[in-house]
Amino acid sequence: MILAVLFANSEGNILVERFNGVPAEERLHWRSFLVKLGADNLKGVKNEELLVASHKSVYIVYTVLGDVSVYIVGKDEYDELALAEVIFVITSAVKDVCGKPPTERLFLDKYGKICLTLDEIIWKGYLENTEKDRIRRLVRLKPPTEF
Amino acid sequence: MALGALQDVLHLHDVLARVSLARLCHTISRARSLDERPDIKSQFNAVLYQLLLDPSERVCFEAILCILGKHDNTERTEERAAGWYRLTREILKLPEAPSTSKDKAQKTRRPQPLIKLVMRRLESSFRSFSRPVLHAAARVVQEMGKSRAAAVAVGLQDLDEGAYVNTFAESAESLDSDMNDNSSEGIRRTTSVSNVTGGKDTIAGMLASLMEVVRTTVACECVYVRAMVIKALIWMQSPFESFDELKSIIASELSDPAWPATLLNDVLLTLHARFKATPDMAVTLLELARIFATKVPGKIDADVLQLLWKTCLVGAGPEGKHTALEAVTIVLDLPPPQPGSMLGFTSVDRVSASDPKSALALQRLVQAAVWFLGENANYAASEYAWESATPPGTALMMLDADKMVAAASSRNPTLAGALTRLQRCAFSGSWEVRIIAAQALTTVAIRSGEPFRLQIYEFLHALAQGGVQSQLSEMHLSNGEDQGASGTGLGVLITPMIKVLDEMYKAQDDLIKEIRNHDNANKEWKDDELKKLYETHERLLDLVSMFCYVPRAKYLPLGPISAKLIDIYRTRHNITASTGLNDPAVATGISDLIYESTKPAAPESDSLDDDLVNAWAASLGDVPAVNRVNEFLAGAGTDAPDVDEENIISRPSVSYDDMWAKTLLETTEMEEDDVRSSGSSSPESTGSVETSISSHFGGMSYPSLFSSRPTTYGASQSSIREEPPPYTSPGRDPYDSFENPLAGRGSHSFESEYEDRESSGNPQFGTALYDFTAGGDDELSLTTGEEVEIEYEVDGWFYVKKKRPGRDGKMAGLVPVLYVNRD
Repeated sequence: MILAVLFANSEGNILVERFNGVPAEERLHWRSFLVKLGADNLKGVKNEELLVASHKSVYIVYTVLGDVSVYIVGKDEYDELALAEVIFVITSAVKDVCGKPPTERLFLDKYGKICLTLDEIIWKGYLENTEKDRIRRLVRLKPPTEF
Repeated sequence: MALGALQDVLHLHDVLARVSLARLCHTISRARSLDERPDIKSQFNAVLYQLLLDPSERVCFEAILCILGKHDNTERTEERAAGWYRLTREILKLPEAPSTSKDKAQKTRRPQPLIKLVMRRLESSFRSFSRPVLHAAARVVQEMGKSRAAAVAVGLQDLDEGAYVNTFAESAESLDSDMNDNSSEGIRRTTSVSNVTGGKDTIAGMLASLMEVVRTTVACECVYVRAMVIKALIWMQSPFESFDELKSIIASELSDPAWPATLLNDVLLTLHARFKATPDMAVTLLELARIFATKVPGKIDADVLQLLWKTCLVGAGPEGKHTALEAVTIVLDLPPPQPGSMLGFTSVDRVSASDPKSALALQRLVQAAVWFLGENANYAASEYAWESATPPGTALMMLDADKMVAAASSRNPTLAGALTRLQRCAFSGSWEVRIIAAQALTTVAIRSGEPFRLQIYEFLHALAQGGVQSQLSEMHLSNGEDQGASGTGLGVLITPMIKVLDEMYKAQDDLIKEIRNHDNANKEWKDDELKKLYETHERLLDLVSMFCYVPRAKYLPLGPISAKLIDIYRTRHNITASTGLNDPAVATGISDLIYESTKPAAPESDSLDDDLVNAWAASLGDVPAVNRVNEFLAGAGTDAPDVDEENIISRPSVSYDDMWAKTLLETTEMEEDDVRSSGSSSPESTGSVETSISSHFGGMSYPSLFSSRPTTYGASQSSIREEPPPYTSPGRDPYDSFENPLAGRGSHSFESEYEDRESSGNPQFGTALYDFTAGGDDELSLTTGEEVEIEYEVDGWFYVKKKRPGRDGKMAGLVPVLYVNRD
């Protein structure tokens, strides 16, 4: 299960977050942990280079995309490598929406579309759609495939 | 067959679909209901093996993990053992590849040993640059280690890793090569490294080359990858191999300040898990734990560490006890840390204490080690007053004191070594360590037989009387404490300890006189004489129990010659040995009316240490670390880790107020204050500024002189009486001045657990009634009329907080209760 998806800016402010199956008090802990993880480790990291962390039986994969950092937290079948897949889908979708690795300004401009896209990719803690075209069509509320 | 559809899944792009396929195949191939259809099972197995060749590492690793027997978070030893056996024995006959372009990788036609395929795949993963891949690969190696340990634990035959693994199934020869035959191993190792396909490899050789690759991965920049690699190395470590390399890797890693505390504790918990799987490794694991204790004392969870000490000591068995105790307490021999010294960084044996917090934590650990030594020296040495493995021969009684002591030391080097260490700690070291060393010595004295008890008695006497000023260094004189006439500052403390021993010796002397009288006059012991004797016995038992735990049924404060007489009295009046006078029936004298006359209890077939072990087991339930360890072993835990206190980064003001919870800032600020190293702390507890272990073990079900809250602990205690016998109360007052600073500091951590949770809800305020000048670091100066917030109360002192710093510049500290008027 994917426990959390988090987008943050370079200063550690959270831009988008999605939690699944995480009680409210724990979310606080996760936010601070993830932001701190990013602050410690994301300096000087190449664009879209994957970093990994783990805690007990939970895995975290995170990366930088333009000005924005993305964190995915998962457990059970969503281990580091599966999360790497997930983060790849998300980063390519965001790049698709924004046209390029986004600055914070651009990210906020496309905020709505990014949220819709995110919800098509991950729903209730599981990876749903991975193909860019399909996602694009779903976001436009069109039937997902042509007949 | 339905397998056709599943074969199609093999070609799906969806990685997670193939992962689920792997799990499905594994589950079906293990199904009991298919036991009569091995053909179906083998079909599903074949699909599973095909997934080993999957281009995605995720799928391949899932297949390997399924083979190893790990498919969820539960740990079943037999399944893991079977998994290891399968890994090392299975020969793959891979089917002809279906003609699609995707399966170009499947070129092998000859049957391959499964393990070779797995090794090759893992080794290539370790060459990847992607950190998640490295992390996952290291995790797979860790699981391999777990399966291997399970296989050894279950006692699987035919596990000879020195056997050749042939590529042809029919002629699977296994040579009787000894696994420990290093020279020939070396030759085989080079053969396997050169990667000759179809050549002869041994399992040990393949594992060795894999572990080489794994070890190089410890150079990764990511701390988490390094941690996973170290865990893998710990699990793959065999009890028969030398662990020097592992030690040096861990030592150099721990010198890196980038390691977060949670990760370090994770590795520590891995040591626990490793011990559970392979109790033989107790001493090795203690050595590794020592590296943690000396390198990063401030970051690790002291409770978990001490629990590891205890479990490894008990688990080391009678042969390993001595070495286990040695491994824990050698920390006391190390030279004290030089602040700012770089020497400690890479070497295993030197201590590094680069900042005050870790220096403090190290000191706490030293105290814990001293206490541990006092509690467990007798167990490790198998020397008890009531049951000695090395009893003094009667001839030795004739020697003079020095020779007797020397003879005893040579017979029991464990105890001798322990006593030397304790004596050294009682002389030198900070005052906290000295106090605990004195207490530890008393414990050992009470529990040991002669001549050890006498030896310690004389030493305590010497300590109390002093004359050792020359041994103290300049540093210790600046403490500001009252040195006492003796110069060691311990005189006041040791007096009651010596008193107990005096009482025992006096009572023993009196008993000998009485016995002689009776023998000379040929008198029988009258019942009321026996009663007096028994009451003395019980009184001394109570007195002794104040200092340390002794088994009431076995302990004879009046000496072994009292055994028979006490027994006579007990059987006559139907008193059970363990409860004695605690039983109200006995105390009121009607026990022989109430209880049926029973035969004397069958001699206990307990081993030497059962009572103490039981006492430990009973107290283990109270230890907070046990929950954490059990949680870890069960594979549980998906909660978020705590953020490290030291590295809090202050953030600039925010513009996205609703999205960025304000509480984020508040929790991090509060966690700055809470420097306790135990796991999950409530965000409100700001009470304790120092980690304090001394109170933990002081209060851990053994009534300690320094446990400042005997009443709350009384509920969780075993049957040790809490009320001090009346005559020691005058003895307690003189060291109130000692006790309070210690209690004040020492009670913070368990205080805050109880009190802060209570007080965090409803803050109490008060006003200072009079001026007060702080007498020590923990105290706070007050001005009349000042408003304070009361956090909690301990032993006649309030821990309060002020709004503004006072004369002494402090904002929090202890003040006497009577000086504050509660609002």
